[in-house]
Amino acid sequence: MGAEAVRNAIADAGLAPEDVDGMLSYHANDSTNAMALSQDLGVRLDFFMDCSGGGSSTEALVGLAIGAIEAGMCHTVAIFRSMNGYSEARMGGSQAAGRAAPSVVAGGALDSMPYGYMTPAQMFQFTFARHMHEYGTTNEQLARVKVAHSNHASNNPKAYYKSRLTVDDVLNSRWIVKPACHLLDCCVETDNATCIIVTSADRARHLRQRPIYIMSVAGRVMKPFAAMHYQCSPITRQAGYYAQRIVFRNAGVEPDDIQLTGCYDAFTFTPVLLFEAYGFCPVGEGGQYVSSGTIDLGGRRPNNTSGGHLCEGYTHGMNMVIENVRQLRHQADDSCPGWAHGEHSYDYREGGCRQVQDVELAMNMGWGTPSMTSALIIRR
Amino acid sequence: MGNAVDDERPDHSEVTVGEYKSLQLVVLPTDSEHRGYFEEARQHRLVVQRCAACGMLRGAIGAACPFCTSLDWSWQPVSGRGVIYSYQIVTQAVHPAFADWVPYPVVLVELDEQRDVVWNRGLEDESVSLRVIANLVTSDPTVPEAEENVAIGKRVEVCFVDLDDTTALPQFRLSD
Repeated sequence: MGAEAVRNAIADAGLAPEDVDGMLSYHANDSTNAMALSQDLGVRLDFFMDCSGGGSSTEALVGLAIGAIEAGMCHTVAIFRSMNGYSEARMGGSQAAGRAAPSVVAGGALDSMPYGYMTPAQMFQFTFARHMHEYGTTNEQLARVKVAHSNHASNNPKAYYKSRLTVDDVLNSRWIVKPACHLLDCCVETDNATCIIVTSADRARHLRQRPIYIMSVAGRVMKPFAAMHYQCSPITRQAGYYAQRIVFRNAGVEPDDIQLTGCYDAFTFTPVLLFEAYGFCPVGEGGQYVSSGTIDLGGRRPNNTSGGHLCEGYTHGMNMVIENVRQLRHQADDSCPGWAHGEHSYDYREGGCRQVQDVELAMNMGWGTPSMTSALIIRR
Repeated sequence: MGNAVDDERPDHSEVTVGEYKSLQLVVLPTDSEHRGYFEEARQHRLVVQRCAACGMLRGAIGAACPFCTSLDWSWQPVSGRGVIYSYQIVTQAVHPAFADWVPYPVVLVELDEQRDVVWNRGLEDESVSLRVIANLVTSDPTVPEAEENVAIGKRVEVCFVDLDDTTALPQFRLSD
């Protein structure tokens, strides 16, 4: 699966396998590695790293690829992620079907697992509950994130879940963890592999596709006391509070300039906190931001036009970056017959177009936990 | 398993094992902090680490003091009283061990000691408090509190589930 993804990305870029001389990946002991993939594809690498890392690693690795290229360590880096996130290693260690649940608890897990506290929905829930308590964020507002992303996914033939959903569909789905996570507030555990190619602008200009330029990267940026960040108030503040200083300064743009966002939507709540932290709306008003139409296709600043983790599939952060590259190429692979040539109808009804018109500047906001983030601004 | 590597593994003869809801709570020989924590709990004392250099308490077990980086510390008993700072109700049994408990509350308890210490000179409007994770339980500490009784701001106090002669697990229950 990993080999297929890297192979497809190399072909899409118009590269030969031997043009790839660098590989970066991240994993949670659940992935194939660069040594295996390079061998599969017959590639000899001058640079590779398989980093241990969770969500928000994607954007950070784009930054590391730039560093490796500018340091002269290699010329072209394939960043990949390969994970059996449904059938094998599920986030939080809950058992996949047919596998025994872990029963031995040791080390840092002694502070949490004896309390039946181990999955991401639980690990983030104290932040979500406190945000609802302090700012009045509602389940209906959260459901609007799922509604928007499902509308987008309905125009993505590759999305895992393509059905358009309503607020009531979300509110009537069964609870996983209260007060913020119904089943449909949670993303889709998925077996998948993904790849992003990073190379120098000079080289990219001579390849098959229009290059998309990297304006700035931040990552992985943390809050104080990141390992047990609930010690540090305000716990409703996402680490983007710090990262936004880096990513906007280095790109020379402001939130208002961004036309398209891609947020790590592990849960409907995570974009709410990212939009606040990165300054797309005032603190406490993330619920209004996501339910105002702003993030919908056709809105002021669409978010996760592929359907994101909630609907396209959970890729640990990769697919939102890939989607923004597609969008900036004006090649969203929707149902418009001429999408590959940038010909779109901009009719966003179900089964139609998902290309954002005339989009030039896009941003990704990665989430690891409330205390961890990365960000990426790219342009056409 | 017949693996030659087995002989190279650490000696686990001193491992302390407490069994709780079918989970094996294992304190490795290299984890003296958790050993002390659970042993103090068996004496029905909730303890936190106190820095020997600056005297600050820390809310999460760690090797160094986040306020001054000193490596020297001792256990400091605290009152075990505090307030529910945030909460969650777990309705999906995330582990078979908790299948008989759903729906059950997990609470973030802010202890009464050392609240709201200004962090980083207040430059980022941040403060640090002692906050620990546990279940909210009833007068029987093996029974989870009812969902409707869980709310941010309610007062709580520590209680303990004895696991064996040497270890206990701290929990919290509602108080006045």
